[in-house]
Amino acid sequence: MALLGRLDWYNLARTTNWTPGYVTEDELFPPEMSGSMGIPLSGWEGYDEPYKQTYPEYVKVQREKDAGAYSVKAALERSDIYEKSDPGWQSVLKLHYGAFPRAEYSASTAEARMARFGKAPGMRNMATMGMLDEMRHAQLQLYFPHELCPKDRQFDWAHKSYDTNHWAIVAARHLFDDMMVTRGASEVALGLTFAFETGFTNMQFLGLAADAAEVGDWSFSNMISSIQTDESRHAQIGGPLVGILLANGKKQEAQRIVDMMIWRAWKLFAAVTGAAMDYFTPVADRKMSFKEFMLEWIVSQFERALLDLGLDKPWYWDQLVADLDHASHAMQMGFWFWRPIMWWNNPAGVTAEDRAWLEEKYPGWSETFGTVWDVITDNLLEGKKGLTYPETLPMLCNMCQLPIASAPGPAWKVRDFPLEYKGRSYHFCSEACQWCFEQEPERYKGHLSLIDRFLAGMIQPPTLEGALNYMSLYPGERGDDAHNYAWVEKIRAARQKAAA
Amino acid sequence: MALFPLTSNFQGDFVLQLLPVDTENTMDEVAAAAAYHSVGRRVAARPGCTMRVRRQGAAEPLPHTLKVSESGLKPMECIEVVWE
Repeated sequence: MALLGRLDWYNLARTTNWTPGYVTEDELFPPEMSGSMGIPLSGWEGYDEPYKQTYPEYVKVQREKDAGAYSVKAALERSDIYEKSDPGWQSVLKLHYGAFPRAEYSASTAEARMARFGKAPGMRNMATMGMLDEMRHAQLQLYFPHELCPKDRQFDWAHKSYDTNHWAIVAARHLFDDMMVTRGASEVALGLTFAFETGFTNMQFLGLAADAAEVGDWSFSNMISSIQTDESRHAQIGGPLVGILLANGKKQEAQRIVDMMIWRAWKLFAAVTGAAMDYFTPVADRKMSFKEFMLEWIVSQFERALLDLGLDKPWYWDQLVADLDHASHAMQMGFWFWRPIMWWNNPAGVTAEDRAWLEEKYPGWSETFGTVWDVITDNLLEGKKGLTYPETLPMLCNMCQLPIASAPGPAWKVRDFPLEYKGRSYHFCSEACQWCFEQEPERYKGHLSLIDRFLAGMIQPPTLEGALNYMSLYPGERGDDAHNYAWVEKIRAARQKAAA
Repeated sequence: MALFPLTSNFQGDFVLQLLPVDTENTMDEVAAAAAYHSVGRRVAARPGCTMRVRRQGAAEPLPHTLKVSESGLKPMECIEVVWE
């Protein structure tokens, strides 16, 4: 049987919509699942996705991508790239695999929401492929670290993390559940595909791929680059939706979701990607600083994309740009100081070479974060290791669930943003996290941070050991200094040489 | 006497911390408790200086001998501990 050419049927197929006869339109597309904002079915038919693909084309391309990723893995499986890599890079892998694969499965649910309940036929088509993309990403990122489990038990966290109450996973779930699985199709398209995937996944999956190539970890570099090619396709679901919403007088609604989710994504990536780029990756292999990546991939790209689509820059934009100077450093310092509660071994990243790089990329670092590392370094040099461990918990933000932290030293910028709501006290790390809460307080009010749970007696015994067990961090998995403090000895030798 | 949780923001440190104190503790005792988790760990000691407790954003510190139970501080309220 002769097949029609693609151009002869594609536009008809991708604009075919339902005409409900036995049920009402709202029964077919419940507003809370569709996020239809009162826009009738006909209003959605102008949705025009910029990236058009048929299912047979999708299967062909995806098969080739998988063949590429798996063949590189197979070719390198018996190499000793992992064993030879710097412990800091090994920690990048552990952090990445613990943070993302299971969230990818969650993202397939988000794509499924758009594939079923999106009112625009083109969106449903794109999201069907996006749903398959996210399953692929979960499977790739669970399969690749599986070979590393016998080498290091901390890689178990690739599969285990999302079933635990680990503090970082509570933070990740709070964001991803909010953004991906508990909102209507339009909000998912705005929050996940436009606000999150358009820029932020570029940083983790392209920025880190560049660092991986420098390190020589071709398997990881190739795999996450392969994932990013899917992301850059299905990330385009949100853009045309903005056009539909603006044409129907819904700019305020679109802007609100975009503003909330850009901020929420920024906070999480400052922790995960920021620390990995500025500290975990060996200094000789770092392509760009986290701040440089953010300015290029997020700040300038979003400014352009938002304005092109008819939206405005988020109200907190200047604050976000100002935070670039300290966010990754504060998260890294928290990771290292509270290292027993991580599923990875955290590098300090403060050798003389690291410090010179940090001062060059972040002028003023020595006068802020450097002062804190001076105290820590002196304690280690003087054999006072006990003082480099915490004896209490950091305060966590009731929105991003991350430590409330900022620049230390003479510049000292740390502060709490407190809020009373219906008899309960909430604490936030920033004006923008508080603003996110205030947008939908009834949605967020019931969540308990790890600190709230500790104070409510849910973590027993109320000790570090009790907290570690509550977070399912068992002996053999708990973090320590990635380089086993070898960097301290380097500093000692340098100081002795200088004194001699 | 009762356990009373506060949030400590120690001058020069990078993070807020959970600070369990007692309702009978004075502000000087609260400052010392906060210092235990910051000074010598991440903040350099300042010999000859004293530490004062103030509400976040307040210009004036709370009196040295004021007890937590008399201070009007709420559970988990953020206090700033500053050098003087």
